[in-house]
Amino acid sequence: MPAEQQDRIRVTEYLDLDVEKEKWFCNRCGHELGGARENYKRGCLLYDRDPREIHPPLVSGEFNFSPDPLWVRIVEFYCPSCGVQMETEYLPPGHPLTWDIEIDLDRLKQRLKTGEYKIRKQRLEVSE
Amino acid sequence: MPIPTLAEKLQWLKPVPATPYERECAAKLAQGDYEIGTQITNDILDEAMEIFVRSSRSYFGVSGDSMVAIFTAGGDLINASCGTYLHAIIQPIVIKFIQKYYAENPGIFDGDVWYTNDALYGGIHNPDQVALMPVFHKSKLLAWASAALHTTETGAIEPGGMPVSAKSRFEEGLNMPPIKIGENFKIRNDFLEMYSVYGLRAPAMFISDLRARCTTADRVRVRLIELVEKRGEDYLIGLLRKMQDTAEIGARKKIKDLPDGKFRTVVFNDAIGYTPALVRSCYLTLIKDGGRLIFNFEGTSPENPSSYNVHTQAVVGHIANFMYEYIFHDLPICSSTFSAIDFEFPEGIILNPDKMAATSCCVYIGMQCRCATHNSFAKMSFSSASLWRQVAAAPGSQHSAQICAGLSQWKLAVSDVLSFSLNTQGQGGRASTDGMDSYGFAWCAFGRAPDSEQVESELPLSVMLSQHWRDSCGHGIHRGGSGAVQEWMIHKVPNLVSLCMGNGSKVPLGQPLFGGYASAPIPGITVKKNDLLKQMKEGNSELTMDLREMIEKPTVHGDWKYELVARTPKVFEEGDLLFGFSGGGPGYGDPLERDPETVMEDLKNHIISDWTAMNIYKIAYGAERRKVDFEKTMQQRQEERRSRLARGKSYDEFEKEWNKKSPPKEALLYYGTWPDAKSTGPVFRP
Repeated sequence: MPAEQQDRIRVTEYLDLDVEKEKWFCNRCGHELGGARENYKRGCLLYDRDPREIHPPLVSGEFNFSPDPLWVRIVEFYCPSCGVQMETEYLPPGHPLTWDIEIDLDRLKQRLKTGEYKIRKQRLEVSE
Repeated sequence: MPIPTLAEKLQWLKPVPATPYERECAAKLAQGDYEIGTQITNDILDEAMEIFVRSSRSYFGVSGDSMVAIFTAGGDLINASCGTYLHAIIQPIVIKFIQKYYAENPGIFDGDVWYTNDALYGGIHNPDQVALMPVFHKSKLLAWASAALHTTETGAIEPGGMPVSAKSRFEEGLNMPPIKIGENFKIRNDFLEMYSVYGLRAPAMFISDLRARCTTADRVRVRLIELVEKRGEDYLIGLLRKMQDTAEIGARKKIKDLPDGKFRTVVFNDAIGYTPALVRSCYLTLIKDGGRLIFNFEGTSPENPSSYNVHTQAVVGHIANFMYEYIFHDLPICSSTFSAIDFEFPEGIILNPDKMAATSCCVYIGMQCRCATHNSFAKMSFSSASLWRQVAAAPGSQHSAQICAGLSQWKLAVSDVLSFSLNTQGQGGRASTDGMDSYGFAWCAFGRAPDSEQVESELPLSVMLSQHWRDSCGHGIHRGGSGAVQEWMIHKVPNLVSLCMGNGSKVPLGQPLFGGYASAPIPGITVKKNDLLKQMKEGNSELTMDLREMIEKPTVHGDWKYELVARTPKVFEEGDLLFGFSGGGPGYGDPLERDPETVMEDLKNHIISDWTAMNIYKIAYGAERRKVDFEKTMQQRQEERRSRLARGKSYDEFEKEWNKKSPPKEALLYYGTWPDAKSTGPVFRP
């Protein structure tokens, strides 16, 4: 792992946070995904997936083990560099996308500065 | 009428401050005595739970969907045996209500048995009933004991205790605020008679479960008195105080250590009663602010005229299930663990309805609050060195709860739920491994699938198959656990009434995590006037025991019906078939990163299909020997990643098109305004 990535915090399986730079990065390829005071999803590529492509109907008719594509879609979020699928949301068509992670960066910086937190193996470890 | 207000309920969730006497007793307690005392409370509760399971009659009781607990004299929970954590944090509301309003009239005395099942007064929903007993020693109130259990009958407008078509609380049968049902260690006969008439559909189960609750609570009381006789009152008081303090310190530390911020999840439900309908069942903003956690539900859909509403404390109960299974799993089950947790419920949402609302099917909406909590917590705690391994997607949340009512083969009145298809849900994919297949009941992790032969001996049914159903799990690096299916044939009676509660036929419920996919929807399936028995008698070797083969190339001929899983009561005849499904768990992470050999294991174990291995996981393998071609698999996966880059749009470009779309108008009947789910007017209830 590159040295600069070691100091990043792993916020999800695929999302790293550089606290000093206040930037999101892809955990897999290190691609920058934008400012950490913004929704990281703004830095992704998005795709509107017909849910029947993932959960195919097993029988004919309205109730068939498959989602109704008029009621729900799968929004897939990809890293624009390596194409890893960073997140998915099952949403009714047209429903606003969720700003799911809004970390209080100022408080996080303060807790790192005071030594309450230290970053070890990309995780926040609390000093006893 | 002193129906508790939201403010009262939220206040009563918080522990009563310690008295100087409690502090004094706790200070006197040596560490060794504290540890032994804690274990004694565990032993008392485990013994009582064993009694509870063995003396209950309903399948939920036999399956262990119950809780036995010890409380302080002030009503705060100290320890519990579960069962389900649903009741854990919220039962203090009932005791504190009794103490506030009934201490003078009718008074609280040694030998009292108190009872309630009314969600307005602090319960989950009215099938969940609880018996409570004060623990007195030499006229001094030292503690309380309780036993809570779900019984599948309430005398409502439909059998089974959770009337899907109830439009107000007046159609839900027995809804009983806290009331004294016994004095001097005896249950009152006048109460028993009043109570019994609500259980006429299944009197043996109804009365047996009530007695099981009372005898279980009393066993806890007796054991606590024995402890006091042996070690003294101060010992018990000090022990309860110290257990509370220790649990609070542990919980506060876990919360404080998490990063601060806001973490949002939105989830949807796809049925309101028997009507397919989309609602934003939980819009959760989880706020971590210093030492506090706040659950805010602003943006959730409005209440509706069905039984799919949840009273506020029942939402807390569902969240407690998540907290104790994953975050507080190493802490005592104790009120003080929630000291630093607050809840904000806007008025009039589906999670804070009017007092006349029906809420008997609240659990289908409440479970969505648990699902949302999984995802918000995952996004808050994945960065934590101490908690990231507890990150997991929600459990399987598609449910079919089939109720059977009528006369059994023994001519006994029965009305019970076939709980196999509830107690076998898949666990959500986890940060370090897959979710467990059929891990348990999302409302009660320790609930057991009932024994098939016991079901067959008590109900007029034959269990034709029980198995994991292929592709029920959500896909990912770590897939969700598989759900299960059971097929029942009406047997040895001419007919039986059956209805089904549930959801998840049109929309996968519960969001996946970190790029995984959700689990498959479930239909309601029945086959009337079929020839299965005839073919079995003839020994047709083409008959299959595999669900997928059975539905994709049917060998059983009859009136196959695929419907919304929630179905109205209907009469079925001997030989008719019913199917019940439990949902698989949603997946965790990008499926393209799943180890190909693990995908092959899933294939061998019939957890997934060849179609899934090839199309979702992009595995290349020989059809016959199922040997992975790693190079080709790598190529296929790389090709899929390139396709993603080609088809993906920038956020702004995507939103431009996306924002023009909406679901069909008929789907939004109960949603509220689109898309922000505001109320469109008052709810009229009969």
